[in-house]
Amino acid sequence: MEALKIFAYLLVYPGLLFLFFYSTLVQWADRKLYARFQNRMGPTYTGFCGMLQPIADFIKLMAKEDIVPAAADKGLFALAPILGLASVFTAALLLPVWHFSANVQSVTSFQGDLIVIAYLLSVPSLAYFLAGWASRSMFAAIGSVRVLTLLFSYEVPLFLAMLSPAVLAGSWRMAEIAAYYQQHPAHILFTLFLGFPVAITCLQAKLERVPFDIPEAETEIVGGAFTEYSGRKLAMFRLLIDVEMVVGAGFIAAIFLGGFPGGLVPGFVWFVLKTLAVIFVLCLIRAVTGRIRIEQMVNFSWRFLAPVAVIQLIIVILMKGFLP
Amino acid sequence: MSTFTIPVGPQHPALKEPTSFRLEVDGEVIVNADLRLGYNHRGIEKLAESRSYIQNLFLMERICGICSNAHTACFTHGVEKLMGIEVPKRATYIRCLIGELERVHSHLLWLGVAGHEVGFDTFFMYTWRDRETIMDLLELLSGNRVHYCLYTYGGVRRDLDEGQIQKCLEAIAFLRERTAYYLNLGATEPTFVARIAGVGKLPKEKALELCAVGPLARASGVAVDIRQDDPYVGFGEYIPFHIQTDEGGDLLARVIVRAKELMESYNICEYILKNLPAGEVRVKAPRKVPEGEVVSRVEAQRGEDIHYIRSNGTEKPDRVKVRAPTLANWPATLYMLKGAYVADTPIIMAGIDPCMSCTDRMVEIADVRGDVKVWDWETLRQYGMNFHGKRKV
Amino acid sequence: MKLQLGAMVPEVMKHLFRRTATIQVPFVPHPAPGNIRGTPVMDPLKCIGCKRCEMDCPAEAIEIKKEYEYKNEAGKLIRRFSMTLYVDRCTHCSQCAESCPVDAIQMDQHYDHAAYTREELKFLYKPEPMPVVAAQPAAPVADAPKA
Repeated sequence: MEALKIFAYLLVYPGLLFLFFYSTLVQWADRKLYARFQNRMGPTYTGFCGMLQPIADFIKLMAKEDIVPAAADKGLFALAPILGLASVFTAALLLPVWHFSANVQSVTSFQGDLIVIAYLLSVPSLAYFLAGWASRSMFAAIGSVRVLTLLFSYEVPLFLAMLSPAVLAGSWRMAEIAAYYQQHPAHILFTLFLGFPVAITCLQAKLERVPFDIPEAETEIVGGAFTEYSGRKLAMFRLLIDVEMVVGAGFIAAIFLGGFPGGLVPGFVWFVLKTLAVIFVLCLIRAVTGRIRIEQMVNFSWRFLAPVAVIQLIIVILMKGFLP
Repeated sequence: MSTFTIPVGPQHPALKEPTSFRLEVDGEVIVNADLRLGYNHRGIEKLAESRSYIQNLFLMERICGICSNAHTACFTHGVEKLMGIEVPKRATYIRCLIGELERVHSHLLWLGVAGHEVGFDTFFMYTWRDRETIMDLLELLSGNRVHYCLYTYGGVRRDLDEGQIQKCLEAIAFLRERTAYYLNLGATEPTFVARIAGVGKLPKEKALELCAVGPLARASGVAVDIRQDDPYVGFGEYIPFHIQTDEGGDLLARVIVRAKELMESYNICEYILKNLPAGEVRVKAPRKVPEGEVVSRVEAQRGEDIHYIRSNGTEKPDRVKVRAPTLANWPATLYMLKGAYVADTPIIMAGIDPCMSCTDRMVEIADVRGDVKVWDWETLRQYGMNFHGKRKV
Repeated sequence: MKLQLGAMVPEVMKHLFRRTATIQVPFVPHPAPGNIRGTPVMDPLKCIGCKRCEMDCPAEAIEIKKEYEYKNEAGKLIRRFSMTLYVDRCTHCSQCAESCPVDAIQMDQHYDHAAYTREELKFLYKPEPMPVVAAQPAAPVADAPKA
């Protein structure tokens, strides 16, 4: 029985199958929302309201020819997407969706899993860098260097913003943090009002979406780190981006929005609702801004995001002092 | 410090038409820029010599899709000066209206492209959606969304009736408030302003020295506009016109100048529609053009467009030379690229509103030793075969 | 002007509830506006064979050929011409209709010419076959019409 549960956890929910299909739904929702914001239709014809469009795109990419440039480092070129995919799939297992028991620590829910999931979510940036660097192409080299510069600028505010709910809840385990905010929902509005926007902005930078899609600036450096990728490897990268979006949104929802209580089925419903709410906010930010330059991003994050996150931390520490 | 060369073009997502730039880059800063033109050369001037004047009306239109009317206007004005015919007043008003409507659609297009080059796709979608109003209007007036074919020697081919005038006035009122919104947005949206303020600075002396034309020059404070300096179709005589300039010299100034020109075009169109004189719209023009040569200029959407026409008394012109405004703006672009960031390349290039279809004509490079080489077809073919044979392609 | 964070948010949110600007052609019929120039249609009975349309067409899309000539009962010389219109070259500028001195060319409202072969886009406007006139000795000019 236990073995069956573990098997289902790994492969079905929240493992491979669920992630694959849910990430396509999230990509569809993002594209449809983005299109509606811009007064156009988005995917319409493939499936019901175009829901099968991301899957169709994935299948099309898998069927295309996989070209590897002659000068590229073949091993690293092929390894980069797999490395990224492996890390985000593993990170998804740590989300507190169906933890076998809320009070008992298990291998997927333990003290410190907050740090582990943040670390695993940084590995895709490393994968993008390796992908660009192994391509040995001019545009890819510029893109990969920009990935690292971007990582340098948003990672610290993200970690600082992540610390605040953990300090207030008094735990390093996401399931316990989520349970704390389920019991005290007022804190989300009145104490964490600075940390939540900072975390959303840093998540937008982690996912490399406008206004922070500097490493993959289409009009400047063609495709950035992904310029030389085609076929199956590009399909893997697209899947990586979508799954990262799901895991990032789930992560923010778990520590800021009160998690996914109730066990299997209510937890699943809460997961879908809360992640879609986070995706709505991310899509809105994407629709109303333009891309900024890399040095403007570094300026912005070190002059504005990091200090705001530190202030949020100070507020949380003061609150903790006054709370019974 | 070692620099490496980034090729931008001939195929690049930033460029709407093929141009070849070689940027020498040191980190993220461009040290030097070099340019190669000629990818869109179609032999328009040679084609014009073997077609009659009536056929050339339509050929000149197809030099460019966005400034199609400007080229036809320039050519027609020149030929009418050679023919010595006077166009009726109503026709002049209608010609001016179509020219200004084309300017509106071109500037809205440019606003969208500028938004797209900095990643601001929502702005792009909104401006192009509102541009559809003008395209539908032009389709209503002339039967086609581009290449209106309204000009003919001696006047225009179609007349406006009351229903069309009403629709035009409504469309212009709608576009006026949309343009005010875009101007406001372009100046207050932080990410957009961060990308265009202070970028691509062209000081006034440099603009004069490098002979910049059009909105590029006007955004640097140089008040040059053919509608004011060398008026045509009634500008200054009976159609009021005010030149729009800005002192900034950077991309934000260019956005502001184009938005102000949009508002000025709306004013001109409304004046024309409300004060259209009665009368006929065309007079008969001779088929053979008397001998002579003429230079005619119009203010196209991108700047000063010059046509030189020489006729020898037959039905076909002897020589036609077209100098499009974008050709005059390339030296200024190379100056702006030096010292700019790589990330600013697409928006600087898009800032002059480049149109390679307009630009690419025959440029004769004289060898400094004194002999000018002219190649015929066989020599060119042999050279091409040797060149590719050596590279084993 | 003062910078305003999120300057576009109200407008963008309003668009969520608005109908899209997309016209789903070809699933939704989208007729051309009434005054498009369309494709030339020639009336062979009116054509006098001056070939002005052929000279003035910027795309060289018109060929006028003499089909036959004969003298009718009244003794008048009747000439008939056919027009081959290469629709794939036509730019729909209607200069031919304007140049024709006898208004033999009218423009219709068709602009959508899609075909699988070039032959389908050669429109031939032929006059009726030459009538056999009994009284007069007819001397038809043998200009074999191109198939």
